[in-house]
Amino acid sequence: MTETVLTAPELPWLDLADPAFSIRSQEVMAAREQAWLARTPYGLAVLRYDDVQKLLRHPKLRQGSYRWPALNNVTGHFARWWESMLLSQEGDNHARLRRMANPAFSPKLITTLAPRFTELATMLIDRFAAKGECDFIADFTEPYATGVICELLGLPFARWRELADIAGEMGLALGVTFRQDLPTIEAATQRLFAYVEELVEARRAAPKDDFIGMLIKANEDKAQLSDQEMLDMIVLAIFGGIDTTRNQLGLAMATFVEHPAQWALLAERPELARAAVEEVMRVRPTVTWVTREAVEDFTYNDTPIKAGTTVHLLSQSATSDPRVFEDASFDITAERKPHFGFGGGAHHCLGHFIARGDMTEALKLLATRLKNPRYAGEVSWLPDSGNTGAISMPLAFDPA
Amino acid sequence: MKVDVDMSICLLHGQCVIAAPAVFSFDDAGDLVWVAEVDEGLRADVEAAADACPEQAITFG
Repeated sequence: MTETVLTAPELPWLDLADPAFSIRSQEVMAAREQAWLARTPYGLAVLRYDDVQKLLRHPKLRQGSYRWPALNNVTGHFARWWESMLLSQEGDNHARLRRMANPAFSPKLITTLAPRFTELATMLIDRFAAKGECDFIADFTEPYATGVICELLGLPFARWRELADIAGEMGLALGVTFRQDLPTIEAATQRLFAYVEELVEARRAAPKDDFIGMLIKANEDKAQLSDQEMLDMIVLAIFGGIDTTRNQLGLAMATFVEHPAQWALLAERPELARAAVEEVMRVRPTVTWVTREAVEDFTYNDTPIKAGTTVHLLSQSATSDPRVFEDASFDITAERKPHFGFGGGAHHCLGHFIARGDMTEALKLLATRLKNPRYAGEVSWLPDSGNTGAISMPLAFDPA
Repeated sequence: MKVDVDMSICLLHGQCVIAAPAVFSFDDAGDLVWVAEVDEGLRADVEAAADACPEQAITFG
């Protein structure tokens, strides 16, 4: 075998494909001290802050997770969509689709949506607050994240359950158990496309001036936006918006359960909610790594990287790197360098203004109404590797 | 119309380059460069770039 960086024995080895693997483990911290780079079953993993920041937008790297289905030997409906949607595109095609989608996710929208986020969060909290307990995922993060997407897409909130289930099942594709969950993922993908086709038909008959309306208008010129591209984009908005926010809010609660003084502080000073979102995403991002792929041979840090090499940027490792975060412990009042929870570069998360806005409003309300939150049973988790989060989270609290 | 980028918060994502390629670009060294004085005809593009900037680093007027 040719000696390449992928086989260099002096580099640490991290088994990212193991469902029991955790980026928060001692093993990763030790590897980060040993080298800036580790070998993994999926290619390379970058461990330190400065390198992750530089490589996120390195011109010799493209977005890499388009190959995720292929890496898992998976084909089918999910793989077809995944490989052709916005996130997997590069260059002119990507720019065309991104320019089209951007206006629907602009920061200006947040001002108008914030009161709706508050209304939705209040309605959900009111349902369980008096009991002093809830399943934080089923009773809050899931209906909330889905409700926000319903709001954005002009869908009735009554259909949230159906969409949440689909998003959750499709989301299994981003975990390391992708292949074994494939039948569930395929069925969910087909259901979502059927749902979206029905939605587009209904909206064609009764036009509205919103995200879907805008795409339908663009689709009048098929060269600007083909039928398939339109459906793929709506599926991405639903899939990308629900699962991520649901998981990230659950991870926020988990972090605060472990740091009760920070929760009390947030209740006292709700203006810290925006900073709390950033701090949670630094220490417990749902997207624990960002994937890139070398488009040609290049050298970085004196390390030759071959074209086609997959490079995982371990965001969660980078944002706890002691070289940059001297005291990396969770603190919502600390001034921090930017985290990578929304990725970066050309593929920076499209929905981040909405995600930041809706999580800020949610945390603000939750901290004032759910005092002293603690686990009231076993929390069930997705694998810690890949896109992670809680599946269920029995929570007890003192109602306020 | 004047365009400015606050380089103390810019993270070089390049969303402005996608939104308004006639105004923003990366040079060979990978640094962001932009046209500081642009034609009114490009206002919509500049506005789209300012909106799309994840760090909200672009100002114009």
